[in-house]
Amino acid sequence: MKRGDLVDPRKHFGEVLTALAEGRPELVVLSADSSSGSGLSGFKKRYPERHLEFGIMEQGVIAIAAGMATAGRVPVVAAIAPFVTARPFEMVRNDLGYMRQNVKVVGRSGGLSYGDLGPTHQSIDDFALLRTIPGMTLFAPGDPVEITRALEAALAHPGPVYVRIGSPPIPVVYDSPEQCTLAVGKGTVVSQGTDVAMIATGAALPRAQAAAAALKAAGISVRLVSMGCLKPLDEDLVRAAARDLGRIVTVEEHYASCGLGAAVATLLARDRPVPMCMLGVPDRFPSSGPYEDVVRSVGLQPDQIAEAVRRFLR
Amino acid sequence: MNASVAEVRMQALRIRRNILRLIKAGKAGHVGGALSAADLTAALFFAVMRMRPEQPDWPDRDRFVLSAGHKAMLLYATLAARGFIPEKLLDTYGDFGSDLPGHPDMHRLPGVEASTGALGHGLPLAVGMALGLRLAGRGSRVFALMGDGEQAEGSIWEAAAAASHHQLSNLVAIVDCNGLQISGPTVEVMNYEPLHERWRAFGWEVRRIDGHDLKLILNTLATVPFHPGRPSLIVADTVKSRGIPFMEGKVEYHYWKPPAAELARAERELEAVAEVPA
Repeated sequence: MKRGDLVDPRKHFGEVLTALAEGRPELVVLSADSSSGSGLSGFKKRYPERHLEFGIMEQGVIAIAAGMATAGRVPVVAAIAPFVTARPFEMVRNDLGYMRQNVKVVGRSGGLSYGDLGPTHQSIDDFALLRTIPGMTLFAPGDPVEITRALEAALAHPGPVYVRIGSPPIPVVYDSPEQCTLAVGKGTVVSQGTDVAMIATGAALPRAQAAAAALKAAGISVRLVSMGCLKPLDEDLVRAAARDLGRIVTVEEHYASCGLGAAVATLLARDRPVPMCMLGVPDRFPSSGPYEDVVRSVGLQPDQIAEAVRRFLR
Repeated sequence: MNASVAEVRMQALRIRRNILRLIKAGKAGHVGGALSAADLTAALFFAVMRMRPEQPDWPDRDRFVLSAGHKAMLLYATLAARGFIPEKLLDTYGDFGSDLPGHPDMHRLPGVEASTGALGHGLPLAVGMALGLRLAGRGSRVFALMGDGEQAEGSIWEAAAAASHHQLSNLVAIVDCNGLQISGPTVEVMNYEPLHERWRAFGWEVRRIDGHDLKLILNTLATVPFHPGRPSLIVADTVKSRGIPFMEGKVEYHYWKPPAAELARAERELEAVAEVPA
């Protein structure tokens, strides 16, 4: 994989997880009629005894995963993002969070991925919901390199982890995998800059990178930070961006009021208040339609991000 | 552990005494459902389940999951009787920061397998335990205690389907069917009867028994799994607040905040009934 290569995030997730299952006999996959759509057909074929099907049982499967974890298994539950977050929220909070169980929840086709299927299938509140749970770790990897890193970190971390991935193909953002420092509580400085800091997460990362390139051409130098782990937040990285640049833009495929931008703003309000511009989905249910059109309707295409940054700096 | 009916009866009385001790300390609690299921936990903890109170995390132990987490006093009373925790600890119930909170916390107390309280979680947790234990190659069994009001939670029926689909013969669930929930008779609030037929239709092997007949309880539990390859379900018909006649079968004792005189009467009546030979 080299920078710019387009990769199917679900397929990549499935391949990485299947590879990581080697030598981890305790790892099991729980499907809520959701494995094939989560890129896990290969896992099911390779490890049929470690693939358990539950049908469209989207509350129960989370509690069942927690019960399995008490017996030393490491369950991975992957399904369409709202159906493993908003739908079974109390199971995630009580059975994974309060009970501190070692379960990995993967919300795929997250964000606005399902632009065409509409608000019931979009997941633009999952960061907000899961961020409230003490002890929960949240990843939203922004490119294939970050997906690999997030899964490795999730399995190495003994506790509940949520990983959100999208479904439209995403480009590789990094020149080399070594450049990515994503880990639990660690983000990455993707590129240095002198005028403004842009902090992006998940599928918004490649578009933020494209916006930064456009801004550079227009004479605006952006420090691009990838916050592939939303909780625990890499506070040092955020404070350094505020200290060095004095102005912060956050970009996310999530409600702007309660996700990455809110986490950054909460930290900086306490430690180092600076002017901020929080880009994300406004307070409404987006219209449905082709993914790229829905992304445009909420102002998250690269040219719109670049324009918002220019206005912010004026 | 093979205890006689008489021994289990004695332990059930001890559990009920402990429940009143908890109420005395905490000044309030879900007493009705704790008392109705005391014969069931006495049987499980003293005659049926494989466990080591001195080694509560023994990997091959049988698991007990209190799906009806509001019967926390029953769990604490039983754990104390069985020697998992000192009975003196019961006197901290209701204190700020007590290891005996209003609903059980698995990280605070030995013998608590799950942090329940929100209804409809315990059975799916128990299903996961049974699956996980089987995958881990352990012969442990999982016993889950539900309430009859709890049967209205959809997640119970999700778990019911999963248990039979995955042929969890190492799972035994018991419904403490005391017939009353906070708003009134369960069949009037939301009717899930005939419960035994509904569970049977979900693929479980079912027995419906008198949940206070200790001999019958022990004989029934001695035959689990009731059918190879199927989860076992017991509908135990019980009486709310069983053991204290003036409180029996009355919905106002679902959650009880007793005036001192009423608590003293409860203590007297429990002892008086206990003296009557069975």
